Amino acid sequence: MKNKKYFLNIGWLYPDLMNTYGDRGNIIALFYRIKKRGIKCNVLKISVSDNPSLINEADILFMGGAQDKQQEIVNKDLLEEKGKYLKDKIEDYTPGLYVCGAYQFLGKYYKAADGKIIKGLGIFDLYTESPGINAKRLIGDIVTQPFLFKSFFVGFENHTGRTYLGKNINPFSKVIRGYGNNDKDKLEGAIYKNSIGTYLHGPILPKNPELADYLIEKALEKKYHKKIHLKKLDDSLEMKAKKFLLKK
Amino acid sequence: MFLYIFVAKIVGFLSEKFKIGSGSTWPGHLILKFDNNFIEKIIKKNPHLKIIFVAGTNGKTTTVSLLSFILKKLGYRVFYNQEGANLVNGIVSAFIKNSDIFGNIKKDYAVFETDEFSFPQILKKITNPQAIIILNLFRDQLDRYGEVNTIGLRWFNAFKDIDKNTLFVVNADDPFLYNESKKLENQKIFFGIDKKLMTKKSLSSDIDFSYCPNCQNILTYKKIAYSHLGDFYCQKCDFKRTQQLEDFSQQKIKYQLYGIYNIYNTNAVLSLIKNIFHKKKGFNLLLKNFQPAFGRQEQIIYKNRKFFILLSKNPSGFNQSIQTIKDILKNKKANFLIILNNRIPDGLDISWIWDVDFQLILKNSKNIYISGDRAYDMGLRFKYEEAKTKIFTDFKQAINEIVKKTKEREKIFVLPTYSAMLELRKFLIGRKLL
Repeated sequence: MKNKKYFLNIGWLYPDLMNTYGDRGNIIALFYRIKKRGIKCNVLKISVSDNPSLINEADILFMGGAQDKQQEIVNKDLLEEKGKYLKDKIEDYTPGLYVCGAYQFLGKYYKAADGKIIKGLGIFDLYTESPGINAKRLIGDIVTQPFLFKSFFVGFENHTGRTYLGKNINPFSKVIRGYGNNDKDKLEGAIYKNSIGTYLHGPILPKNPELADYLIEKALEKKYHKKIHLKKLDDSLEMKAKKFLLKK
Repeated sequence: MFLYIFVAKIVGFLSEKFKIGSGSTWPGHLILKFDNNFIEKIIKKNPHLKIIFVAGTNGKTTTVSLLSFILKKLGYRVFYNQEGANLVNGIVSAFIKNSDIFGNIKKDYAVFETDEFSFPQILKKITNPQAIIILNLFRDQLDRYGEVNTIGLRWFNAFKDIDKNTLFVVNADDPFLYNESKKLENQKIFFGIDKKLMTKKSLSSDIDFSYCPNCQNILTYKKIAYSHLGDFYCQKCDFKRTQQLEDFSQQKIKYQLYGIYNIYNTNAVLSLIKNIFHKKKGFNLLLKNFQPAFGRQEQIIYKNRKFFILLSKNPSGFNQSIQTIKDILKNKKANFLIILNNRIPDGLDISWIWDVDFQLILKNSKNIYISGDRAYDMGLRFKYEEAKTKIFTDFKQAINEIVKKTKEREKIFVLPTYSAMLELRKFLIGRKLL
């Protein structure tokens, strides 16, 4: 197959720490859908003890969500070691997906329930706040309408932080059902260059393969400097799973 | 008290007789409406009654059942919260069922499993149990329980207020549980398993405590049992697995159930028995003929097929079920039925299925049948492992199909979530629960 000349490296940030909500499914989906197009693929795991320059080798980046404790460890490593590498990659249009905790990290800061400010990487023009110790956690099935796609997206959200977007970033979707970034503006996620931040678990990519293919196309186009049209895959099962949630 | 118990007993009896509601929770629910201090009163009335709690994410029902089985063998009168009714109302119901109408309980031991979230609330009512067994702590129903860490810290916070004579029996192969329980003033017995049984090559995707609870450095594992259980140490500080633990490696124990997770459950029970009854040997006699609890490695014959049910309700539990089936089958192949529901007792979020290593059973599968409310999502999970499955949204149809496609006496491995397991048993047996 002629695609054999293509190769993509998926950079998976903190797989041992930032993987509490089944977000590994996004890696599985990317890997499967790249392979199905006859393209060579490798998953590069990058964690606390690894050299930050490994990030440079990734063609697509992914990072998931975790518990507060793990996020604390990762936040320290990002601010001290890997953050500047990640910033360069995002600014350089490397496609990436950042879910929940990872999405919050890319913003300016996170204000915890006790009022403590946790500094973020400031790559995305947004901030996140927990409204207080007794704040309602935003939990449940979510349906959105992304601005980039015609189809609806489905997923599951589970977060206390409310994210508010600044002027220099666009929302990723409109909320049809559920909460999204916060419980006020009916917007979900953010897109900056080729990087997408979202609260959607589920995980998002196997449930919404349109986004997986979008990231793969962008990665190939950036790496090989030409327009790419991926071969269509049979996504009938994906659509059945999606329809089930849309009907509910 | 007399009137409450009398009415509640009648409610329990009627609900069991006419199969309305659940006899294991309704009476308790009712009594708590009249008297929120019922538990406090009934234990005061029965000072001879010794109470043992079993907490943990996985293995509670089996452990309670095994401990009760052994206590009975030792000649004690025992009761426990049946049908896994482990909220406050389930515990109250168990008290009602086992007391006379005056509130007298003619038993020596009450063994209770406790829901992870309700445990601190229950400990406020029962502050002086004889012992607390802590089996493990894994991610489970994150949309209902919240973070694993938070659950764990709520437990240990509640432990500060309980009687200093309460004995703790703690899984020390779990770095978080070991570290937190070390700080308790109470007497502790640590248990684990024989290091020779820790054969997992790498950490799986279901781990929650991959870092040192002491200094936050990433933990190193010399050996892994499953999930984050194993022989761990920290390269930065002196935190490591203790040598002072009961692993029964010298005892040649004949474990009655399959799977490493059941070796943990059994060792937990034996550690307690060894300690409170000063027993040094004869453990195999105590374990002999133990039958699994409902839905936990339970075999049900239906139309002459053997349906072997392994409740699988969270990533670590599912991964253990898969490992156990592999150990049973070795190189042989079998049919599988996987039923995924996401009702209230299962947790609404099903993202966790992506943390289960399903590829490990593909080599052992003839056919994989998938069903449940979220059958398509489970089908998708297998599609991404390049596996072919047969999806039936109605599990009864799946079972009919399996019966058609299998021979008599053939074994079918069933992996259901909690609500799916109850529904399946009802269908296969033709009646509810026990």
